[in-house]
Amino acid sequence: MVRIMICGIASCLMLGPAQGQRSQIPELTQEQADSRTVIGVVNEYLAAGAEAIRVKQYDEGIRLTKIGLDRPASPRDRSAALSNLCAAHAAKNEPDLAIGYCNESIGINDANWRAFSNRAYAYYLKRMFDEADADLDVALSINPDAKQMPQIRGMMNERRLRGRVTTEEHN
Amino acid sequence: MSPRHAVAAIVAVGFLLAAQKSNAARGDVDPIGTWSCVVWGHPDFGDESVLFHFAPQGIARLARIEAVAVPAWTELTPWIAENREMRLGDPRTGRQYTANLRRDTLGGAWRTLTTTGGWWCAVSDVVVVPDTNEGRAAALPPVLPLVTATPRYPIEAIRTAKQGRVVTCFLVDAAGMIVEPEIIELSDEIFREPTLTALSRSRYEPRSSDAMRPSCRSYMFTLDRLAQHEIEID
Repeated sequence: MVRIMICGIASCLMLGPAQGQRSQIPELTQEQADSRTVIGVVNEYLAAGAEAIRVKQYDEGIRLTKIGLDRPASPRDRSAALSNLCAAHAAKNEPDLAIGYCNESIGINDANWRAFSNRAYAYYLKRMFDEADADLDVALSINPDAKQMPQIRGMMNERRLRGRVTTEEHN
Repeated sequence: MSPRHAVAAIVAVGFLLAAQKSNAARGDVDPIGTWSCVVWGHPDFGDESVLFHFAPQGIARLARIEAVAVPAWTELTPWIAENREMRLGDPRTGRQYTANLRRDTLGGAWRTLTTTGGWWCAVSDVVVVPDTNEGRAAALPPVLPLVTATPRYPIEAIRTAKQGRVVTCFLVDAAGMIVEPEIIELSDEIFREPTLTALSRSRYEPRSSDAMRPSCRSYMFTLDRLAQHEIEID
């Protein structure tokens, strides 16, 4: 048996986006803090797809990830890969496709907070703010420290809230 | 940035610095004398224009300036000052007044068992309250807004869904300019800068009298949730 010490596939998949993307699109994929031991074969297509998505080559990332999904992968890694497909389609402003992949991802692993976060962003694109709020709440309950959720919620608030200032004179 | 905007920005920054200086600890204010004041915050009666008179040995009295009745001085509970905080009470209304004497002018908060509010004063040379409306208007001219600038709602406050309230008090000089603004109540620091910027762009009606007049202003920062069809996404 071959023991390979690498970062978990999920951690490789969840790489941070390019800086230029941050101002407009929340971090749909991100680096996972932990580094895990994976025993077995690495699905290199999933890792390559994640990297392509990270550098905003969404079509290439989607292609590679789909190839990776046709090959053996653990349920956890499949969930992460589907979440990355969701992220890529959301970044391409294809929220319906994105939501489908996020649903699949969550169906495999309902503790995948990134999938909830990504789906929230897709819902945001569709102006489905209540659904986005619900997903952000779930994601936050799984990972209270994630930076993406306040970012997405801030974007939603910017759209759905209008500030009003009323003045009262006292004299 | 256009020259006009640049000038506005410089003025706002200057005002901000002045306000920060104004909020810093300075010399004590001596309460003895007569003060024309605005007392605000009563949920039913609204704002009141009053004269306070403080004499040595804790003597304190108040005259409410009203349009319909001839004001009369009424006795207040003796004022005391400890640790540069002044306290007194009005037995008729049940209000307990406090003032921070570290400021340049007299003013602070009042509370009853159920309500709270504030008061803000300018030195007055009125000793005998005129018994006619015209006389009172001349001696204690009203402070009328000429230009009321509205603060912008900070975008960061919208993103984080912050609402809040700011109460600011200041003096108005004869030219109608706001001087020595102080933030009396600030629910969140995020609202300070837009408030002071709006104040710096506000003006009051000029008056012929040289006396400073007190005034306060509240800003309520509230968020309205847009209907689905009103929401725009780029």
